[in-house]
Amino acid sequence: MNTQLVRVSTGITFAAVLLAAGSAHAIPAFARKTGMSCSACHEAWPRLNEFGQQFRDNGYRLRHGRDAPPEQPSAYWPIAFRTTVGYQWLRQTLQQTDSGTATTQTGTFGFTGLDIHSAGTLADRVSYFITYTPALRSAGFTLSPNEGDLESAWAGLHELLGTTWLNLRVGKHALDLPEDEHRSITLTQGYNEYHFHPAGSAATFEPGNNQVGIEVFGHDDLSRLRYSFSFVNANGAPLSNNLVSSPALWGHVQGTRHFDNDILPAVKVGAFGALGWHPVATQQLTAGGVATPVVGSASSEAQFRRLGGEVHLYLLSNIYPLTLTGVVTYGSDDQALIQGGTSDASFFAGWGELSYTPTVNVVLIGRYERIGSKTQGVANNPRDLGNLTVFTGGVRYTLEMSNRTEVALHGELSSASRVVDASGNLPNALTGLMAIDFVF
Amino acid sequence: MRPKLIALMLCALPLFPSRADMSPGGGGTVAAVVPSIDLAQITRGRGVYQRFCVSCHGERGDGRGISAEWLNPKPRDFTRGIFKFRSTPSNSLPTTEDLLRTLRRGLHHTNMPSWEVIGERNLKAVVEYIKTFSPRWNTEAPGTPIPIPPATPDGDAARARGKELYATLGCFNCHGTSGHGDGPAAAELKDDWGERIAPFDFTNGARLKNGDLPEDIYRTFMTGLTGSPMPSYADALKPEDGWALVHYLRALQRGETK
Repeated sequence: MNTQLVRVSTGITFAAVLLAAGSAHAIPAFARKTGMSCSACHEAWPRLNEFGQQFRDNGYRLRHGRDAPPEQPSAYWPIAFRTTVGYQWLRQTLQQTDSGTATTQTGTFGFTGLDIHSAGTLADRVSYFITYTPALRSAGFTLSPNEGDLESAWAGLHELLGTTWLNLRVGKHALDLPEDEHRSITLTQGYNEYHFHPAGSAATFEPGNNQVGIEVFGHDDLSRLRYSFSFVNANGAPLSNNLVSSPALWGHVQGTRHFDNDILPAVKVGAFGALGWHPVATQQLTAGGVATPVVGSASSEAQFRRLGGEVHLYLLSNIYPLTLTGVVTYGSDDQALIQGGTSDASFFAGWGELSYTPTVNVVLIGRYERIGSKTQGVANNPRDLGNLTVFTGGVRYTLEMSNRTEVALHGELSSASRVVDASGNLPNALTGLMAIDFVF
Repeated sequence: MRPKLIALMLCALPLFPSRADMSPGGGGTVAAVVPSIDLAQITRGRGVYQRFCVSCHGERGDGRGISAEWLNPKPRDFTRGIFKFRSTPSNSLPTTEDLLRTLRRGLHHTNMPSWEVIGERNLKAVVEYIKTFSPRWNTEAPGTPIPIPPATPDGDAARARGKELYATLGCFNCHGTSGHGDGPAAAELKDDWGERIAPFDFTNGARLKNGDLPEDIYRTFMTGLTGSPMPSYADALKPEDGWALVHYLRALQRGETK
């Protein structure tokens, strides 16, 4: 019997979504391999600069004849570890209790979990990336996964047909996003629009999560013009009765232009979008009174769509930039994806971010993010159900940034408010983090 | 000029004495040979250097960055003002364009990548900053580039002439009779810093550090690689002989010689 699929979990956690969502990428093993300081590739660790983006796009190669493993000393081992230790304070308003709503707060010394990365080249034009995040239930910030996860596992084939315009990445990989969430400077908040779903939607695809599939990507020699198309099984795909379960296509194009002046030396613009299908009905098997969906039996695929644009203005310098970034996204989910849906659900999301890197050691960042419903999928829903407003500000001072390690002091404060029910209540989560972020 | 930039430059002033101040003998003739210093350019260049270059070339430009110990070949020591890859005569200073060419291309099979991606403004700025490390730049102007005439036709005769020159000029002493880099002197070669240095092997498919284009090869043996055992042959080779040698070496690279 076909049964409407029950949405599992699509809400956005108020606090610390980034650390809950996934690991952050910074690979001192690359610095050990190349001899360069982390600052060569990172505008502010872990965010990539143009040189770092080019290095990544080229498959972790400098293309100088020394990229293949036989060129490395036998003692070289491409492993890196990262964690963040410190204190996190979280205050949440309008939390439900037996005696009504209350404001709660927690202050926790702890750590975020552990990222274990291995990445590099397998041959001159073959790259790989593996990220393992072990289960660490005792993590103080309660943000580590409950189960160990192979968050990234892919192999890349580069310069197919002898051109940088054709490369493949196969496996579980990060989608090419306007701003890579795995390299976000902020730690208590990532980019919520990468994880947003309209209220009640069954779709599970989140571009902020690594996806399993194949990526075709390419770029010019300097990676100033680049494209990426990923064809993936969307999150939670196995139920779908298709040749490719819950297929989703993600596309992103980006172009950077340099200008010969001190006011606006570089501008990057881009466009991105997603088109995917998610099943809304499945066969079930009932055993012992418990009905279980049958893998591979789901049908009635319904569509979801995302479309957006981005602008990055690099002011004063493209080496130590004052960067102003704006990203807007329009999304819609088919009404069949909405439990009790009466129409397609749609939303606008956007964020603006200002970051400043006056030296290799310091970065200041502020971000405003807003997600607003345009059309609710259920006619009776409040018009603003699910709307989200987030402010994040922080400063990061890098104590050590060598060709071996990176250690940063990190201070951050974020405020997130979301309309969660018809009462119009607007719970707020205020999160403060003081931490030492380090990678070896 | 923006106040912020002026402030930055003022802060940087103690870090960047003028080239005349740095010259060993007071540099009375400096103004005649060295262009005036663009402090804003050097300040920008210092920022570029700090971000991208310092871990190999060191804070003082002496090639003793924290990574230098593990690198082979060693990073360039800018303090002596000796540069291998130039278009100018042996032992002279390179032109700005020479240094930019190295930055844009990188040096194959070393740890020096291409930095073209960071943009021409930043490359020019870091070149000016690199010049502050050596007093040579206060007292000398860059050499005059050695002209590279149009290539003569490749062919059996040119290659035969090139092979003859390869023998008579003694190239085989280092590079070996077959171009394998295994000449009788190869094992003893050191650069001016006392580091062991291997002659180039033309036969293993490797790319030349100073560029693979025919004119790059021509330029290399006309200018020599100052600081290394590779001398300049500018006085020993007529242009047509230079091109004959280029054709022979490229044939060696492609395995087209017997």
